[in-house]
Amino acid sequence: MTAVRISDDALALACGADALAAAFEAAGCTVERASSWGMHWLEPLVEIDGMGFGPATPEDVDAILSGKSAKAIGPIATHPFIAGQQRLTFARAGRTRALSLEDYERTGGWAGLERARRIGPEHVLDEVARSGLRGRGGAGFPAGVKWRTVAKAPGARKFIVCNADEGDSGTFADRMLMEGDPLQLIEGMAIAAHAVGAAQGYIYIRSEYPHAIRKLRDALKLCADIIAPFNIDVRVGAGAYVCGEETSLLNSLEGKRGEVRGKPPLPALQGLFGCPTVVNNVLTLAAVPHILAEGGAQDYEARGAGRSKGTMPIQLAGNIRHGGLYETPFGVTLNQLIFEIGGGTASGRPVKAVQVGGPLGAYLHPGQFDIPFDYEAYAAADALIGHGGITVFDDTADMAAMARFAMEFCAVESCGKCTPCRIGSVRGQEIIDRILSGGRQADAVELLPQMHNARLAERSQAEEVQLLEELCAVMKDASLCALGGFTPYPVMSALRHWPADFGLSAR
Amino acid sequence: MPKLTVDGIELEVPQGATVLQACELAGKEIPRFCYHERLSIAGNCRMCLVEVKPGPPKPQASCALPAAEGQEIRTDSEMVRKAREGVMEFLLINHPLDCPICDQGGECDLQDQSVAYGRGSSRYHEPKRAVTEKYMGPLIKTVMTRCIQCTRCVRFSEEIAGVDEIGALYRGENMQITTYLERAATHELSANVIDLCPVGALTSRPYAFEARPWELKKTLGIDVSDAVGANIRIDSRGREVLRALPRINDDVNEEWISDKARYQVDGLTKRRLDKVWIRNKAGKLEAASWDEAFKVIAKAKPGKSVAAIAGDLVDCETMFAAKALLRAMGSKLLEGRQTGMDYDVSSLAAVNFNSGLAGIETADAILIVGSHVRWEAPLVNARLRKAAKNGAKLFIVGPEWETTFPATFLGADVAVLDKLPAEVAAAMEGAERPAIILGGAGLARGALGPLLALAANWKLVRDGWNGFNVLHMAASRMGGLMLGYAQKGGIADIVKAKPAVLLALGADEVDYDQFAGSLKVYIGHHGDKGAHAADIILPAAAYTEKDGTYVNTEGRVQFAEKAVFAPGDAREDWTILRALADALKVDVGFDSFDELQALIVADVPALGVEGLADYGALPAGGGSASGEIAYPIKDFYLTNPIARASAVMQRCSAELLHGEDLAEAAE
Repeated sequence: MTAVRISDDALALACGADALAAAFEAAGCTVERASSWGMHWLEPLVEIDGMGFGPATPEDVDAILSGKSAKAIGPIATHPFIAGQQRLTFARAGRTRALSLEDYERTGGWAGLERARRIGPEHVLDEVARSGLRGRGGAGFPAGVKWRTVAKAPGARKFIVCNADEGDSGTFADRMLMEGDPLQLIEGMAIAAHAVGAAQGYIYIRSEYPHAIRKLRDALKLCADIIAPFNIDVRVGAGAYVCGEETSLLNSLEGKRGEVRGKPPLPALQGLFGCPTVVNNVLTLAAVPHILAEGGAQDYEARGAGRSKGTMPIQLAGNIRHGGLYETPFGVTLNQLIFEIGGGTASGRPVKAVQVGGPLGAYLHPGQFDIPFDYEAYAAADALIGHGGITVFDDTADMAAMARFAMEFCAVESCGKCTPCRIGSVRGQEIIDRILSGGRQADAVELLPQMHNARLAERSQAEEVQLLEELCAVMKDASLCALGGFTPYPVMSALRHWPADFGLSAR
Repeated sequence: MPKLTVDGIELEVPQGATVLQACELAGKEIPRFCYHERLSIAGNCRMCLVEVKPGPPKPQASCALPAAEGQEIRTDSEMVRKAREGVMEFLLINHPLDCPICDQGGECDLQDQSVAYGRGSSRYHEPKRAVTEKYMGPLIKTVMTRCIQCTRCVRFSEEIAGVDEIGALYRGENMQITTYLERAATHELSANVIDLCPVGALTSRPYAFEARPWELKKTLGIDVSDAVGANIRIDSRGREVLRALPRINDDVNEEWISDKARYQVDGLTKRRLDKVWIRNKAGKLEAASWDEAFKVIAKAKPGKSVAAIAGDLVDCETMFAAKALLRAMGSKLLEGRQTGMDYDVSSLAAVNFNSGLAGIETADAILIVGSHVRWEAPLVNARLRKAAKNGAKLFIVGPEWETTFPATFLGADVAVLDKLPAEVAAAMEGAERPAIILGGAGLARGALGPLLALAANWKLVRDGWNGFNVLHMAASRMGGLMLGYAQKGGIADIVKAKPAVLLALGADEVDYDQFAGSLKVYIGHHGDKGAHAADIILPAAAYTEKDGTYVNTEGRVQFAEKAVFAPGDAREDWTILRALADALKVDVGFDSFDELQALIVADVPALGVEGLADYGALPAGGGSASGEIAYPIKDFYLTNPIARASAVMQRCSAELLHGEDLAEAAE
């Protein structure tokens, strides 16, 4: 009987992994559902004795079993896409079953938690600080500083909240981790709880991830005794993008309107239910078990570039030939990621733009593809890393439409609390429409003879562009949270690099 | 105490101050819409932007930013001006240009600030967002298209009122403020959101389209709808009071007033007594002249047999003038507790709100006996909520009412005071600032003695703290007690004395059947219960129509000024009593208001000084009480003759308390 491994990751399922698994079972094989390797263009990927075949369909079953399949990719572990990575957070991707305690322990699971318990909270805080781990949700705030603030904050009750409301376009690392290696996230949260003195944790996960929700809940049942007395509950969001912002997330967790809170007070001091709270992204917490393992902190700190330490699970998506999860130390460039690793666009056309960091990230022009992938270098280029999602566009993309979409997205997802985001996003769309129509034309009423002494409100396209720039400046400077504050980035970058798409001559 | 500079001015600000407060201390005006001193910080309007170094190179919302050592704050830089202008332009995109028909005009924050930060015309020509009206009840008129989503009203109802009545629907630009299911706001302080609203979204429904603020004469008054003595501003035009607004007084009403205080004023023009009336032999009231009325009273030849009963709304001057008249005639029959209460008043400290209204916020364990605080003193209820939020434990003896804070009801019978549950005793004994609040219904059941004994047990009086409080309901109560308006046996003593002439000073809660043999002279302003029973009606002035002194339930002496003249033949009460003295041929010793006040001060010096009166030490108590507590107020909106005459209060009562559905006329 041949042992076959097929992923049960949501992406593989969407590509027909279940039918494929059934076909292998019908052919007399034992099928083991493992996590995904993160080579998405190859899903569903079939693994037999370390050899890979993909993307496979039920029709390929016979060919694969007879060893004559054209879809063979050779040994998976040494595939260039995998071999080029430095997988720490995703070390188990493709190698273990999500809900197998046995697999988890065999691959070094719980070592971090055990060592954390042995060395005590103070040393845990030291190690996290030494590793240089920064928040992977987008802001890049040093996790060690945040944890220490919570640990020192007075309060009988403290909480660990995991932000799993992965809403950025082109991102999937949180989902892959929760579906493929939920125990690692749980271990990370348990270590955080141990370090700051929390007894209760929450995973706030978006409802669009039903498989991850189910696996997390099952995983929590499996390991309840191991992480005790710490307890974790899974809470499901209702689909608001802004609830991925930490303070809205806390409001939502409390059962309130998903609206941003003003800071201060910082959640680290007054977070969930007014208690000191660690709010970290899935990837941040999942990086912790490795850091806490023997020598892990030094190992982590040794990787990366500048002040951006460790590895970043980068998600290659959009119009790219080899899309998937690529975990690598900071410092890699887009040129490497898109052309060497990603193999260019899936459509085969030239790359026009790349959006990094979700719907609020700037559009990068091919001329900027040599910027090293780290927080500071991107900030200097008016761009952001965000959650590490990379969306590639070929030359058929209309960047004016993309800029308008950024405003539209903000208008739809704005919580409505602060003035700049609430009003600017809607009016920003309208101004882009005006620019695209060549400036505003006087309407029927303004053309009436009775209006002869009123100033006609026609404005040139250049004036509309200036208005858009001023609107973006107000949103950027005055918004309460990053939703309104970063919406101008894709808009302004599109306007700066692709003026022709707006019907403007090069500026 | 961080030291910082604002526009180059060096100053030191208190620990915990925000940058906005620091700027204000430096004398810089910071525009704001959502920030309010008494509400939590929302930081959503983004108007209060300033430049702060050290910090990110962009404007910061000063309301939410803590002031810190060494900050360099600029409120006048180009960056700040541009940012504020940008936010203002955004706000005006959707705000309708309907100032000429908006009641907020002239007292509108948005209007004022657009003068400073607005553009001459908008650069945004697309249609404005419009929002459908939301029904918020008989007091609050809504034009929600004007709303700028500052959420002050939401925060007020959540935080101060303690009821989740107002909230937001939808997100983004579709966000709308509304009451839950568009039901009427029913909280007793609900109309304060009108003052809080920085634009014309929430305006006063009864006052709609009445006047512009610059047409109004503003007079400093004291509210008489309860015993809190809220400081109000009476806005009048000509002879009519158009509205009452709160004044800021942190010791008394902060900056709120109850809906009754605000909206009973339309009752001042209705059911007024503006003529002299004499009851004829057939039992009908006939219009008469002042002379005729005085003759009838003189003909009764009362001699010493004269008594005076003070109503709930009268000022100290009226009560003293009557007292002086009675003294000249040789009588001491004065009473103000109309419904027959006879608690011991030998020490006024025992019937005073000793912790002070502001002080009760700092109590950490409070036992309330026989007081429906929400209806008897809504402003005190707001203070209790603050105390509860600060961690105070509250216990209530009396029938259950809907509190706006966590509280434990211990039963309706005052007998429970003899056998309080262990948790109550433990909480009171363990508290640093324990307090008792005794209401009128508790006084009526004789709870004063037992509670004074408990006060001694629990050491309610300690260094810098006196937690023994009596919460009255009548604005005249403490002043009346200071002037001796109390008989040992209460009103029963007056009944027993069978006075030939009974002077009823706006007393509308008395059972006049007990005085069948007396000539009942009603000196008051509304055709209410007292006037119905009277033999002679002498029209007098309401609280807005005379200067006067009031003492609130915490013993705070406050002066109120006259806003308008009394209607028709009505006269200020003291002048009526002075004229009556002539008719009865006695000398009361004053011919002018100043002389009258001088006599009051000579008699009770404390009434001459604004501020808290000193009533000495708390006496010892004892004894026990029993009986079911029955709160005297059955209808919050109709507790006094002015409110009962008010169409607005009647509508509130019908709609908010009795659930009547009132048809709206199309506007």
